[in-house]
Order: sequence, then C-alpha cells, then structure tokens
Amino acid sequence: MIYLDNAATTKMLEGAVDVYAKYACQSFFNPSAGYNKAINIAKDLERVRNIILNKLGAKGDVIFTSGATESNNLAIFGSKRNGKWEYVFSEGEHPSVYNVAKELESQGFIVHFIGLRKDGQIDYEQLESVLNEKTRLISTMHVSNETGAINDLHLIDKIRQKKCPKALLHIDGVQAFCKLEYNITDYNIDLYTISGHKFCGPKGVGALFVKNISSLKNTVFGGGQEGGYRSGTENVPAIMAMGYAIEHYNTKENYSKVESLKEAFLAEIRKEDKIDTIEGDSPYIVGLNLKGVNGETIMRALQDEDILVGIGSACSTKKAGNRVLNSIGYNLNEIKSHIRISFIADLTIDEAKFAGKKIVEIYNRIWENVK
Amino acid sequence: MKVILLRFGELYLKGHNRNIFENTLIQNIKNSLTGETFSFSKTFGRYVISDYDEKRQDEIVSKLKKVFGLYSLSIAEEVDAQLETIKQVVSNIKIGKQSFKVFVKRADKTFPLSSMELARELGGVVLDNNNESTVDLYNPQREIYVDIRLNHKAYIFDEIIKCQGGLPLGTSGKGLLLLSGGIDSPVAGYLMAKRGMTLEALHFHSYPYTSEQARDKVIELARLLCEYVGEIKLHIVSFARVQEEIHKRCKSEFMITIMRRIMMRVAERLCKANNLGAIITGESLGQVASQTMQSMTVTGNVVKELPVFRPCIAMDKEDIIAVSKDIDTYETSILPYEDCCTVFLPKNPVIKPTIKQAEQEESYLNIDSLVEECINREEVITIRKDS
Repeated sequence: MIYLDNAATTKMLEGAVDVYAKYACQSFFNPSAGYNKAINIAKDLERVRNIILNKLGAKGDVIFTSGATESNNLAIFGSKRNGKWEYVFSEGEHPSVYNVAKELESQGFIVHFIGLRKDGQIDYEQLESVLNEKTRLISTMHVSNETGAINDLHLIDKIRQKKCPKALLHIDGVQAFCKLEYNITDYNIDLYTISGHKFCGPKGVGALFVKNISSLKNTVFGGGQEGGYRSGTENVPAIMAMGYAIEHYNTKENYSKVESLKEAFLAEIRKEDKIDTIEGDSPYIVGLNLKGVNGETIMRALQDEDILVGIGSACSTKKAGNRVLNSIGYNLNEIKSHIRISFIADLTIDEAKFAGKKIVEIYNRIWENVK
Repeated sequence: MKVILLRFGELYLKGHNRNIFENTLIQNIKNSLTGETFSFSKTFGRYVISDYDEKRQDEIVSKLKKVFGLYSLSIAEEVDAQLETIKQVVSNIKIGKQSFKVFVKRADKTFPLSSMELARELGGVVLDNNNESTVDLYNPQREIYVDIRLNHKAYIFDEIIKCQGGLPLGTSGKGLLLLSGGIDSPVAGYLMAKRGMTLEALHFHSYPYTSEQARDKVIELARLLCEYVGEIKLHIVSFARVQEEIHKRCKSEFMITIMRRIMMRVAERLCKANNLGAIITGESLGQVASQTMQSMTVTGNVVKELPVFRPCIAMDKEDIIAVSKDIDTYETSILPYEDCCTVFLPKNPVIKPTIKQAEQEESYLNIDSLVEECINREEVITIRKDS
C-alpha cells in the first residue's frame, strides 16, 4: 500500500504503540490518585507537557484534550466574553473552527470571516480592515489542510499589534506541528492547537497551548483535571504515546525528505499537461486538478492499485462544493476534479514516483473513456 | 382474553383458487411472527391471534401491518357470546365526556338479540358507566365495536387498524426489480409485492465512477424492502464498461437510451436464467427524458418475451415520495451517492427517440458481447429481513 492521505491521519509509530500499551496495561493508574505509582504518572504527563512546550519553543500552559476539535472549541468558547466583542476567522478554516465560528454568530456575537487569496493564504488586507479595538479573538490556521498554504503568522501578529494589541491570537496548528520548524513566541501566539494523530501519534488525543491561562475561561466542568480546564480523567496512554511521537519526529530531516518526495512525485505528474498541480507552501500537501475527470473516480481507481489519496471534504458537501477551494476561486468542476496528496517521510522516492506514474496512467485511461 | 382479530380483503373474490390464496396468507402471517409466541385460529371470515405476549403487542401489530393480503386488524377482548358477559366487558369501557356509538355485527344469527337491539342495550351500559357521555350516531368521538362470530364468541374492540391490503405475497409469480438507488424503484418493488409478487432485484453499478457507498445504499434499500417481502436475491452487475463503450461510440444524447436498452436486455436474460416472469421498473411518465412515452417504447422494445411492469407510471413524484416515506425507504434513497445513470449524464438527452435511431446507434456497439460481459460479471447477494 502507498498511503498518500497523511493529512487525514497517519500510521502510529510502533514505539508509540508500545508506550500506549505500557500505560494502558502496566502503568495504568489514575494520575489524580494519591499513591506513588499514580503520582509518578502525573509526573510523566508533566514531562509530555514540556515536550510540547519545547517543540513549540514557548512558555505557558498545555491542556490535554481529546484532539483538535476539542482544543479549537476550548480556545474559541474559552476566549469568548460577554459584551460587544468581535471575533475574526477565515474562510479557509477546518470545520472544527469554522462551525464554532458559525455557532458564535448564531448566538448573536459579531463574527468576521476573512477571505482567502489565490495562493490559499488569508487575505491580510481584509484582516487589517476588520480588526479594531473591539476584536477579542483572531483564529486562523497555520497550514491549510486543503492546500498546504502557510499563513504568514508574523504578518498576522504585526497587524494585530497595530490594530488590536489586546486581542488574542489562536492558531490551529494541526498540519504544522512537528512538520515545520518554528517558534511560536516569535508570533506572540496566545493559543495553539495540536492533534496527536497527524504526526504518527494516536487518535483521540491533542492539546491546547495557552500562553496566559487567565485569558481562558472554563467550558467543561467536573473533577477539575487539567487545572480545571478539561475535567475528566486524562487519557494517559494516548498522551504518553503522543509525547513519544513528538520526541521521535525529526522535523528538519523529515521536511527535507518530504520535499524530495514531493519533487519526485511531481516530476511524474508534470509529464501530463492536463493535470494542474496546486503547490502550497508546505511540502507535505499537494493538490492535483485532474481536468475533465471526477476526483472521486480517480481516488477509487487508485485504491484498486492499493494507492490511497484524499479528496478533501469535496464528497461530503457535494452540493455546496468545497468551501475552502471555492474560497480560493475554484469553480465546481475544478473542485470535483480535485484530489489531495499528502506525504509522510517514511515513503520511498520510488513509491512517490510510482504513485505519480500510476496517477497519470489511470487519469489518462479514465479521461479517454469519459472525454 | 385479549386477541388480535385479523381481516382479509380480496380473497373472497378468488373462487376456486381461494385455498391457495388463503393458505399462502396464513403461512405469511405465521412467518411474519417468527420468534413470537402465539396461537393462530380461523373463524369464518376472520383470523385470530391469541396467547401472545401482551408486552410485545406493538411489535406484533407492526409486523402484521406489513403482511400483504391483510385488510385490517383490531385488538379485541374475546368472550363467550352471552349477553351478560358482553355487558360485563362493555361496562369497563371508560370514555369520559366523549360521545360514542356502538356498532354491532352479528354473524351468529342464533344470538337472541338482533344487532340493533344489542347495540341499544350496550349503549345503555356505556351511559350507565360514563355519566357525562352522550350517544352520537352520526359523528361519534369514540366507536365501540361488538362482533359476534359463528364460533359463538364475541369480540369487543374500539379501533380498526388499517393494514396493507393487496394480495398474499407469493400468489402472483416472481418479478425482477431494477433497483437504482433512487426513490422510485423501491416503491415500484413494494407496489408489485403488494399485489402478491415475489421479488428479486437487479442493480447496475459503475465502479469506479460510482462508490462503494452507492452499492451499500442499494443493499440497504433491498434490506428495507425485505421488511415486506422477507428475502430478496440481489443481482449486482458492473456497468462501467458498457457506459464507457456507449460514451465512446454513440451520440451523447443517446447515452441513457442505449444504456437502458442494454439494462433491459440484461434484465430479461437474468429473468430467464432465474425463472422470473416480469421486469419491474420505477419509471413514472414524463419524470425525466428517459421516461417519456417514446423513450419507454424504445427501451421496452428490446424485451421480447416478458411484460415490463411500471407501477409508478401514473404517480406524481410527491405521491411516490409519500409511499417511500411510508415504507421507510425514503431516507436511504436520498443519500447523496451518485448512481450509474448520473455519471455519464449527457447535457441534452433525447426526449423522443425512435427505435430506428436507437438501432442505428447500437450498430456501433457489439451489443451481444456487452450483455454477455454483464451477465458474466454478475454478483449475487441474498438479503433477508434481519441480515
């Protein structure tokens, strides 16, 4: 199998599975309990918090959650304040931010949606035009899961400092964390979301980085775990396995490997003029526009060759098309013929080339039949 | 004793064949209650289900309501047909301030009172026990029925629950339903089954142009139909090759016409191989280009020896949707997976094709070998109610 849908999820590292098993079956104690065995688990969780902080290059708090959706909900609802505050999002957000924004809007809050530029980044001029002293929160993504576009966080921070220095900046870092090298203190980020299963950790676990915990309000009530911000017994096996995955993710080396995988892959794709490539800034994600052919058809024909690719969210919202692609100016036909390729470093160059060749071959075969 | 009283409709009309119809109906009733404990008995003109678990009454009723050939049913109190006993039961009826009417039917003419006399007598009993109630013979709020049968039993009930009607499943032969995944074809299958026809089904899929989910959806629709027909043998045929060939070689506006002619040929072949006597489609006159009178003439023309039944032909879409909601297939039918007809959909499909034009287009294809390929790629799944 050649798996090219790593933006959807990744295979867990075997070492992470071992860690998971250890904390599920041997060191299974509830970290809130009072005996030493349990206290040691609580210490282990602290260690993972530090691993995350180190990777982010930041100082602050880390709240463990069930994944990015929960982190994003906590970041946004937790920042919400009564009064005439305004909230700013982009059209390119993942549903776990976008639909939270829609919910805020339906509750009567003032919500702004910033459009996307052709290259998939947010429209910074529009951002500047909507920010004002009433802006409470700016929430946008680091790397687009659809296009691989990387938003200029430095610029976003600069605009914020100029227009609304007190506003909070939340960044959904799901497709960036571990994959890119950066230091979030450079951008004065207040809240940052990560998700365990995007970098070979387990599903069902994630975290929210919080620079200044007093800026956040509690949204879930219960036993008071995670400083009261996320009650419920910690998912210790998954948190520990996530920590292992972060420690074993070589960001720099993987990045350059993925760059060469992408190049080898695209070299094959470029042999076919009818296929357009959409290259975001992150080498991990590439879009292909397979003119005249339905992307879903190609996706299924490829699965018969044991090659798995993504079609983004195009299939679930057939009628509306894909919101993000639509927002960067794609028409419905272009959206239909779009597939998403997302890499991981443990692929070989030969596999990348082979997949590229197969895509061209299958595309041509189907194109002949449907042209 | 609490019983369920069952009434059947058209069986009366079936003369010499009445036994076959009745035995089939009884068997179907018993099959529908597989897994339930109950006793079954016949009295002239009625069936009676007794000794069942009253806690499961709602489930049992809902199963019986899906048996074709049953006209209506009532939950009744069964007692010996003696005036005092009947009065005793009626005296327990509490209707508060509501107006009422007593309906008496007396098949047992040996009962000492006439229907009218008994109704009057029982009306008095109801009034005695419900001070604020009144009799209203024309527009009563509550109806109380007393049915005295030839077995010298009286059945007292207050509701007649409508059932499916139709003819017992299995008394009208077997047909092959073309099941697309849309709203109409499950309704067509249901309507034919209601007239006693046992079903097999044929689905054309177009992988990789259509998805695995589209195929699963059709399997689910067949399973939902099994609620009424018990079991369906579903024939699944891959059609992508045929569509590619038509797309390549024929005029695009004839895509659907030729496709459907080939589907009909495959259907007739499968009917013969499986001993099925009719082809059933969900077509409705004028609904889409391929369902005009001319289109159906051209697609029906390739079927040489069998009838093509189109029970939805004169129904409005709204009415078809209403039936599909009734039989619970609607929510599945509207799941948004492309079916094989939408994949190669031409912009301007021909509305009034002729047989001659279709034959001309088909001359560019090797029809026999395409049909043969379809038959060879056939996959068969047997689907049952509880699978």
